[in-house]
Amino acid sequence: MSARAEYIVEMKGISKRFGGVQALKNVDLELRYGEIMGIVGDNGAGKSTLMKILAGAYVADEGKIYVDGREVHIRNPLDAARLGIGMIYQDLALFNNLDVARNIFVGREYTRGPFGILLDKKRMYRRAEELIRELRVDIGSPQFNVAMMSGGQRQMVACARAVAFQTRILIMDEPTAALGVREASRLLSLIRDLRDRGISILLITQRIPDVLAIADRVFVLKGGQRQDVMEVSKVTLDDVVTMIVKGKERGGNGDAQVEYKSFG
Amino acid sequence: MATPRLSTNLSDEDPESTGQEVAWTAAVPLRGRATVAGTPGTGGRLLSTVLNGLKKYTTLLVLLILMALFSFVSPYFLTSRNLINIVLQNTYFIIVAVGLSFVMIGGGIDLSVGYQMSLVGVVTAMMMVVYQLPVWLAVGIGLLLGTTLGLINGLIVAQIRTFPLIVTLATSTIFQGISYLISQAKTYRNYPAEFLFIVNGRVLGLPFDVFLALVIVICAHFIYSETRFGLRLIALGGNEEAARLVGLNTRFIKISAYTLCGFLVAIATMVMLAKANTMNSSFGPGTEFVALTAAIVGGVSFVGGEGSIPALVAGVFVLAVLGNGMQLAGWGTYAQYIVRGIILLGAVVFDEYQKKTRRALR
Repeated sequence: MSARAEYIVEMKGISKRFGGVQALKNVDLELRYGEIMGIVGDNGAGKSTLMKILAGAYVADEGKIYVDGREVHIRNPLDAARLGIGMIYQDLALFNNLDVARNIFVGREYTRGPFGILLDKKRMYRRAEELIRELRVDIGSPQFNVAMMSGGQRQMVACARAVAFQTRILIMDEPTAALGVREASRLLSLIRDLRDRGISILLITQRIPDVLAIADRVFVLKGGQRQDVMEVSKVTLDDVVTMIVKGKERGGNGDAQVEYKSFG
Repeated sequence: MATPRLSTNLSDEDPESTGQEVAWTAAVPLRGRATVAGTPGTGGRLLSTVLNGLKKYTTLLVLLILMALFSFVSPYFLTSRNLINIVLQNTYFIIVAVGLSFVMIGGGIDLSVGYQMSLVGVVTAMMMVVYQLPVWLAVGIGLLLGTTLGLINGLIVAQIRTFPLIVTLATSTIFQGISYLISQAKTYRNYPAEFLFIVNGRVLGLPFDVFLALVIVICAHFIYSETRFGLRLIALGGNEEAARLVGLNTRFIKISAYTLCGFLVAIATMVMLAKANTMNSSFGPGTEFVALTAAIVGGVSFVGGEGSIPALVAGVFVLAVLGNGMQLAGWGTYAQYIVRGIILLGAVVFDEYQKKTRRALR
C-alpha cells in the first residue's frame, strides 16, 4: 500500500441485534498502529460482541470494517485470520482432547503430500516449540495435553495460537479474569511484549487498573453504544469508572466530549 | 507496512520482562520435557500419564484376562480352530465399528448402521439373484447405496443441528421400512462364486475378509494419526464451538464422517452377505448395538473427541470372546444379552470416572 492509513482497524456504524436485543448500536472504533486499546464497559455493554464481529465469530447487521484503510468483509474466523486478526476468547476455546501443538495449528495445519491431506507433524511441533520459546511462556512441551494445564498455561496456549500466524491485530477477551496475581502480571507483561513487536492489541477487561497499567487508550461502551475514547495518560481510574457507569451524557466532562467528537 | 513476525527480534530483552520471567520461571519451570517433575500438579500429571497409559491398554488387558479365564472354563477355547473362528466371525463387526468410530469420535452417533446393512444387503442380493447383474456392478450399486445412506444421515444431522441420536433413530426405521418394501420380506440366497470370493478367497495367505478388515483398520488408524481430516474430526468431537471459532467447516466434517461410516458399513454388509450366503431384511439390525458397545468398551468416548483404533478392535474382540466363551461354558444366548448390557454400562461408568478424575486433577 502506498499511503499508510491512519488506523490499522476502523469499524464504522456497527450494529448487531440478537432477536429482540440490540447488542450494538452504530458503534465506531478506531485502532491505531501498535497501540494497546482497552475495551471497557459493564456486563452486557457489547464489548465481546463488538470484538467477535471483528474476529469473524459474528457478522454485523450493519456497518463497515476497514483494515489498513481498505474495506474488508469478515464473514468467518478464517477471513479474519487471513487479515491478520487473531482473538483469544474468554473461555479460550481450546481443545482439551488435543496437545499444545495440535491446539495451535488445527484449522491452519502444516501439511504435506497430495492436496495437503497429510499432517506435517514434525514442522508443527518444531514451530510450536519455537513459539513457546519466543513468547517465553511456560507451557512445557508442545506434546503436553492442554486438559492438564493451569489456567495461566492454558491462556498461554491460546495466546500462542492467536499470534502464530502473522497476527497484526490481537483481541483478548478478559484474559486476566481467571488468573492469579502472579500469572496475571506475567500475562500483562507478555501483552506489552507483543505490542512492542508491533502487534496492535484490543483488550477487553473488567479490571480497569489493568487497562490503566498497560493500555494507550481506553474505549468505553455502555448499552451497546460508544461512550468515549480516552487517552490513558490523561485520565484517572475514577474518570473511567464514571464513564462506564454513567455514560457520556451525564458522566463525561467537557473535555471528554470534545475528544469524542474529534474522533467521531 | 509493518507486518510483525514473531520469529525475529528476540535477543534484546528489556530488564523488566526478564525479571518477570524469573518470577514466572520460579513458579513454573521452563523446558517442560526435562522438568515435568517440577511442574505444579506433578502428582496430577504423573497420575494422568498412568491413567492415559492404562486407558490405552485397558481394553487389551480386559481381553487377555477374559481369554485366560475362558481357557480354564473350557479346554476348547484356546484351540487355534476356535480362535480363528472368532476372528472370522467378527470381520464385519470390526469394519462396522471402525465406520462408527468416525461418527463417534467426531461427536456424533449413528444408530442406523444395522438398518443400513439391511437395506444395502437386500438390494445387493436382489441385484445378483433376481436381476442377475454382474457381481462388480451389484457390489458397486450396494456400496454407492450405503454411502448415500450415510450421506443422508450426515446432511440431516449437519443441517438441522439436532441430536444425532434422534435423527439416526428416525432414519433407521425409514431404512428398515424401505428394506422390507423392496425385499417383500423374502429371502435371497445362492450368490455367484465370484461374490463368495469375499469369504473363500485368500490374499497374502489370509482369508480375503480378514485381509479387508486389516486394511481398513490400518487405513483408519492412519487417517486419525496422520491426516488433516483426522485431526479436524477429533477436534470437532472435542469442542464443536472451538472448532467453529478456529474456522473449521464443521458441517462438511460431520457430513464426511457419516458418509465414510455409510461406505464402511456397506463394505461390512458385503462380508456379512457372503458369509451367510443368504439375505433377508432382518439381517443387519442389532449390529449397531454390538458395534456401539465395542466402540465404548474400546475407549471411544460417546461424547466425542477420543478413541483409538487398536483399542476399538480389542473392544470388538472382548465382546466376541465373551460370546464365544460363554457359549462354550454352556450359558445361553439370553444370559449373554445381560452380560453384554452390563459390560456396556461398566465401560460407560469407567469412562465417566476417568473424565471426572482428570477434571479433578486440574
